[in-house]
Amino acid sequence: MEYDRILSDLLNRDEYLVVGKKTVRLDALDKLLGKARFTSDYIPKNTMTVKVVRSTMPHALIKRVDTSTALMVPGVVTILTAKDVPGENEIGYALPEQPFLNDKKVHYVGDPIALVCAIDETTAQEAMEAVVVEYEPLPAVFDIDAALAEGAPIIHKENNVAVKTKIRKGDIAKGWKDSDVVVEDTYWSPYQEHMCLEPEAAYAVPDGVGKVTIIACMQSPHLVREKVARVLGWKLNQVRVIQALTGGAFGKKDDTGPLISGYAALAAIKTGKPAAYIMDRSEVLSVTPKRFPVRFKYRSGADGKGKLTAVEVEITLEVGAYANRAPFWLWRQTAHACGPYEVPNVAVDGRAVYTNKVYGGSYRGFGNLALHFAAEQQVDKLAYELDMDPVDFRMKNILRIGSRTTCDQLLDNSVGIDKCLAGVAAASDWAKHREPVRIGTKIRGWGVGCAYHGNSTSRSTPDWSAASLMIHGDGSLTYRTAICEIGQGSPFGHAKIVAEIIGCNLDSIKIEQPDTDSTPDSKPTHGSRGLMMGGTAAADAAIKLRERIIRVASNMLDCPEAHVELRDSQAYNRKKPSVKIPFAEIVEEMHIRGENPASYGFYTSPRRFFDVDTGLGYNYAVYTFAASVAEVEVDTETGQVEVTKIWPAMDVGKVIDPLMVDGQIHGAISQGIGFAIMENLQLKDGVVTTTGFKDYIIPSALDTPEIDDTIVVEEPYKHAAFGAKGVGEPSIISIVPAVVNAIHHATGLRFSTIPITPDRMHKALKEAGKK
Amino acid sequence: MVNFELNGAHVSFEAPATMTLLDMLRVELGVTSVKKGCEQGECGACTVLIDGYPMTSCIILAPQVEGRHVCTIDGLAENPLMKELREAFMENGAVQCGFCTPGILLSAYALLRDNKRPSEEEVKTAIEGNICRCTGYVAIIESILDAAERIAPD
Amino acid sequence: MKPLTGFSLLRPPTLVGALEMMSTLEHAQPIVGGTDIIPTFKDLGSKPVHLIDLGLIEELNGIMEEDGKILIGPTTTHTQILTSKVIEKTAPALHDAARWIGSVQIRNRGTIGGNLCNASPAADSAPPLLVHGAEAHICSLEEGHWIPLLELFKGPKMTVLKPNEILIGLRFPTIAGASSSFQRIGRRKGFTLSVVNAAVYVERKDDALKEARIALGSVAPTPIRAPVVEDKIRGKKMSEELIDEAAEACVEVAKPIDDVRGTAEYRKDMTAVLVKRALREAWRRTGGEL
Repeated sequence: MEYDRILSDLLNRDEYLVVGKKTVRLDALDKLLGKARFTSDYIPKNTMTVKVVRSTMPHALIKRVDTSTALMVPGVVTILTAKDVPGENEIGYALPEQPFLNDKKVHYVGDPIALVCAIDETTAQEAMEAVVVEYEPLPAVFDIDAALAEGAPIIHKENNVAVKTKIRKGDIAKGWKDSDVVVEDTYWSPYQEHMCLEPEAAYAVPDGVGKVTIIACMQSPHLVREKVARVLGWKLNQVRVIQALTGGAFGKKDDTGPLISGYAALAAIKTGKPAAYIMDRSEVLSVTPKRFPVRFKYRSGADGKGKLTAVEVEITLEVGAYANRAPFWLWRQTAHACGPYEVPNVAVDGRAVYTNKVYGGSYRGFGNLALHFAAEQQVDKLAYELDMDPVDFRMKNILRIGSRTTCDQLLDNSVGIDKCLAGVAAASDWAKHREPVRIGTKIRGWGVGCAYHGNSTSRSTPDWSAASLMIHGDGSLTYRTAICEIGQGSPFGHAKIVAEIIGCNLDSIKIEQPDTDSTPDSKPTHGSRGLMMGGTAAADAAIKLRERIIRVASNMLDCPEAHVELRDSQAYNRKKPSVKIPFAEIVEEMHIRGENPASYGFYTSPRRFFDVDTGLGYNYAVYTFAASVAEVEVDTETGQVEVTKIWPAMDVGKVIDPLMVDGQIHGAISQGIGFAIMENLQLKDGVVTTTGFKDYIIPSALDTPEIDDTIVVEEPYKHAAFGAKGVGEPSIISIVPAVVNAIHHATGLRFSTIPITPDRMHKALKEAGKK
Repeated sequence: MVNFELNGAHVSFEAPATMTLLDMLRVELGVTSVKKGCEQGECGACTVLIDGYPMTSCIILAPQVEGRHVCTIDGLAENPLMKELREAFMENGAVQCGFCTPGILLSAYALLRDNKRPSEEEVKTAIEGNICRCTGYVAIIESILDAAERIAPD
Repeated sequence: MKPLTGFSLLRPPTLVGALEMMSTLEHAQPIVGGTDIIPTFKDLGSKPVHLIDLGLIEELNGIMEEDGKILIGPTTTHTQILTSKVIEKTAPALHDAARWIGSVQIRNRGTIGGNLCNASPAADSAPPLLVHGAEAHICSLEEGHWIPLLELFKGPKMTVLKPNEILIGLRFPTIAGASSSFQRIGRRKGFTLSVVNAAVYVERKDDALKEARIALGSVAPTPIRAPVVEDKIRGKKMSEELIDEAAEACVEVAKPIDDVRGTAEYRKDMTAVLVKRALREAWRRTGGEL
């Protein structure tokens, strides 16, 4: 049985019970009553406070760390430095170049050096200011060109290149020969701050001898466990990690979860006291990872008939002080370099470059937001060069079943981008909006953006997930997944999958907060895998439990197993539906008959071939596709841009809940618009100068555009539960290009960098004489 | 000693001048529905009603609420208008991470209490001080308009 | 961000009490809403001061119309300004500016006196009050005097108030046939600090500008008036050409800087746009045609 055929092949039904229907999230009421608990809500009064002494230099050798004065501040419990780290002093994600606490060298303003543990915040602050760090300053580099220049200061290694990628597909020379038009440009996509409403928080409690319990916000409890155990020099089972409800994450807390948990855990272990580490907003903005900045040099060609012939890209990713997720991020950009189009000849070269600035990290869209910002402008430019309609040109080249991607991956199922694009073109009356419209001082324009985003790991790296399910004596169920609730509702999506398969009432399922002592390792909540991988593990657990329930029920109902229907937490014989047995009775019988009431679900992605040398092969398990049309109004006097309407479409494989799909899309539209026109993280000499909501502006309710009904395309992925694909990340990717292309349509101006703030727009209009 | 009314009950607490209302509520009095998001009065997660008006508790000094009525969503659990808002938020999928939710509900409540049929623009203005990074506000705005319709059927 | 520490809070019930504290205590500073003071303390560290909360002093709050003058108490909140029919009628620029100060939560808490005494070059209440010819009532235990509001501002975050003085009132005349407009540019539609703002006040006599006043924010170390431009257009017949002339002349008056919110060049250019928009709106509000 393919997982997308569960309904017909396993459940023998034509209609879904809960999947695809609007349902109220199980966590909604607690959150609406203010009873939902986030990490800091668990921290008791008078808990020892941890604060981090951070580097004030962008690049320097540490000559001396003197804590003696600070230790004399009344109320200080202890101050921990690198020498207090019992295990490995290493916390890097991909490369082992990131010390947990720095004692030799600092690489950016914000590098952690010492942990101050004190009875309260004021004391901790006073002590923190009394810690003396003596530096020997080194020359610092603040941009990629300076880092790549000959004789540049070495941050971690010679030439400052952390990692490289490469794709060679077809014959690029032939591609250029076949091209009738060629467009070239260089794009710069800057930092973006996640601005999760909840600042990072971790609470650690020493738990007897040789165990610590951590409650924190995060995206992968098992990753946190692994990193903390390594720092403490402990076994995995000595570290218990509980993910508290997480107040927004968007990738950020995948990176910060291990760091903050490590600080709190080390403090708790060393002092024997419960310890709390809570970041404040300015610390979040100043020192935690952002969306990686990146430069793309693009050259794209098409023939006179409007077929793409060649794409050549040079990607220079600015990683900042540490590589962190850069290898994976860069691979995503490399692998998606052509956008959702078929291009026969491709050459992509990527490199990730260190600088002495706050480092990059996971963020919704993982490289693909920046990539599509560039790639989709290239496509738009080609269409204009060819005097073709931008939608028609895209449609001619769009990926379809049987197409091959940038990496030469053959797409054999679940490709719905053509339907997405056709859908938004029709809904927005695209053909009628080909001329910009002047309204007073404003010009209205329309633009389109397409996107695709590989689900799960790149390069066919093995990916798997796990979940567990237990049915109790009264028929209620406990569901366990380490896929985290970070706002997106993925675990609730799992619960719906379980309810669909088991036939239980949705509200009979309790989703346990992930706890590494009891929750199976589902692997992280990232890479658009939470629902696609985690939900399929849930399906596996549910299918196993269902088999046992059916076995027992068929016996109790005295009918063949094929006739047993499970619904409303009851079992009955489809041929004789009047007799219904509640699950409670079936569970009792299961125990008597020795049928296990608990099940463990495990799911592995199909293994395929990928050649890292050429960059070709089966790269991602499946792709989510999206298209959007944006309508903008540009005030030519003030340069202010307003996004007035968005028409979104997405091929999600299968909708598990339309409210959640819309929720992701609406949120992504807001974040995408923010990135495109207002969010502007600024630094001076490596120091972040926009350290709060006041100056790092993100959209408010008044900046919300009208959003048309989402056009949902369902091209099921055959290896995931009911065919569902990831939604949260892909939903942001097409927004930025749609907006910048609409701005071009309105003004005739192309922007090679974002955000297109009023002052930038005004300057561009002025220079173009269009003011 | 600051004396005030919290969700209808009298509270006396020895609050130093340097303690914010937010910290007094969250840490000292255990009212954790009020969230700490920015500590600058910019994000609205710490919104409370003081004498009925939404204000950000992170930039109010605790002794300043002497003699005032402070209301958090805990005090409105049984309130009919708040119940309608909750229902609408649930049905429209207006809750994601939930961190901004208590603050938004209080702003929405204050709006609908004083303005039974607000326009969309008035709804947006009422919650412009409550930043949400998850929902894009769409479902929230719809929910508030829905709740308004439910409480004032014409 | 830093924990709040080292200050005290005193809450006198009377003005005399407050003034006594201001003159006897070393390092005393008035506070009401705290919407500027507390975030600043958290950003830069607390000042070891006695915060004198004026919030309990009833006579300092409210809006009154008396003898052809509008009187505003310094602890009047932005919400009170915004919802005041008197302000809406007599000083529409001030009404409009109040809409753009902070969010609902901040408007419910922050006060007009605080907005002015915080002395931000971007303070939205300042340009409207300046063009309406507002005066500020400065008072110490010993004496009180009125000064033109413009003289209150000494520099960014600096006023002429002496350590023992408090701003206890604002007033401006109501003139028949006058109107005003406030314009601003922010970095989003929702609440945010102004990148540039401007207010214009006009008195119309038939189709001529009997009186014209222009104030600009965020283009100099303090909110400023543009007297050179006002002189240039006062008494003239109103026209689009005159508006353009005034707007261009204002650009010369503006001396902004680059900061995280915008460039100097942008601010200069926007000064012209906002002055144009404000002149048109204020003129129309007097019943004038263009």
